[in-house]
Amino acid sequence: MALPNQQTVDYPSFKLVIVGDGGTGKTTFVKRHLTGEFEKKYEPTIGVEVHPLDFFTNCGKIRFYCWDTAGQEKFGGLRDGYYIHGQCAIIMFDVTARLTYKNVPTWHRDLCRVCENIPIVLCGNKVDVKNRQVKAKQVTFHRKKNLQYYEISAKSNYNFEKPFLYLTRKLAGDPNLHFVESPALAPPEVQIDLAAQQQHEAELIQAANQPLPDDDDDAFE
Amino acid sequence: MATNEPEHEHREDEEAPTGDEEDTGAQVAPIIRLEEVAVTTGEEDEDAILDLKAKLYRFDKDGNQWKERGAGSVKLLKHKESGKVRLVMRQSKTLKICANHLVLPTMSVQEHAGNEKSCVWHATDFADGELKDELFCIRFPSIENCKNFMETFQEVAESQNKKEENKDATAAADALEKLSVEEKKGEKEVPAAASEESKADADKKPEESKADADKKEKEEPAPSS
Repeated sequence: MALPNQQTVDYPSFKLVIVGDGGTGKTTFVKRHLTGEFEKKYEPTIGVEVHPLDFFTNCGKIRFYCWDTAGQEKFGGLRDGYYIHGQCAIIMFDVTARLTYKNVPTWHRDLCRVCENIPIVLCGNKVDVKNRQVKAKQVTFHRKKNLQYYEISAKSNYNFEKPFLYLTRKLAGDPNLHFVESPALAPPEVQIDLAAQQQHEAELIQAANQPLPDDDDDAFE
Repeated sequence: MATNEPEHEHREDEEAPTGDEEDTGAQVAPIIRLEEVAVTTGEEDEDAILDLKAKLYRFDKDGNQWKERGAGSVKLLKHKESGKVRLVMRQSKTLKICANHLVLPTMSVQEHAGNEKSCVWHATDFADGELKDELFCIRFPSIENCKNFMETFQEVAESQNKKEENKDATAAADALEKLSVEEKKGEKEVPAAASEESKADADKKPEESKADADKKEKEEPAPSS
């Protein structure tokens, strides 16, 4: 569901509520999907941030309005006021911080008070970190409450598409739905301005001297 | 809080984690019915002349830093008819586009200081459906793949240059013809893109013009002087 100031689209859209303790990686996960970047710096979300996120499937284009809510209590804003009309949800915890898993039942309870019978995915984030505090086998909450569970890493992109794929399948009642290549439109011809080109070349020389953020990382997915 | 042996933990990460493909979710009623649609990649009329796994970055000028744009497959696609080549990169798994731009004669791919597996270039990118100036950096799993990419990119850029020159040459030749016919009205007729060099080329060797120029020649032969 779109906010009043947000453009509506002519293809199916869903309100997705993302909850979980502060610092578990909700905003980083959304940002990763939006721009590809991996933000290391932690800046707590105040209240809520809503981002449209499109996916291309064999059944056409769909959009999630991601309601990325504050995890930290002091920045909670309207709290469960943000959950109203939520059509699906992600509950995030951090596998390197046990307390964030212990708090999952509270997030789940609050969510279910407002949104009944919506598909929910539990995500254990940061599985790329070697020193885990919550092992995969210790995660049992999803079985008690009938949630789907994925181990994910916003850093390495491990399973990063799975929560969205699962939710789309459930919302559409189609277990075979899958993501497809979005159409790569022909880029229009551009007129090259000589002055602009010289400026780009100068900027490129500067940029070529800056290191990459993740030189050591060998994941290419 | 207690920490467990990192060695053991890591091995567990590599195994398929529990709940990965198993559906433990509650049965919920679907809220929408979607019909299968015809899928178009937009790449149907092109041949891939290069297809490699890589990680793409864009330069954030405000923060003076490289930021990840996506990881997946980078392709150089040559159009079957026009011969134009573009670079298209898609994020793996979601298959979304993270780069989509023409490879032009004005482009040059350069080394990335201190990293032999990566290189940089500037492009006017159309990934989001609007043209944006971007500085890109791409990193490959091997030095070899990076070299391969740089060489192919550069070859393509240069070959597009020849094509452009030929087009320009024909245009310049046409313009020159008009000049003589219309009793030297002035340089206005010569397209701005035609350089002195390509004009000289037009004078010397119009018979060398390629496909697109040939077509034009049939309608309006270029003078041989």
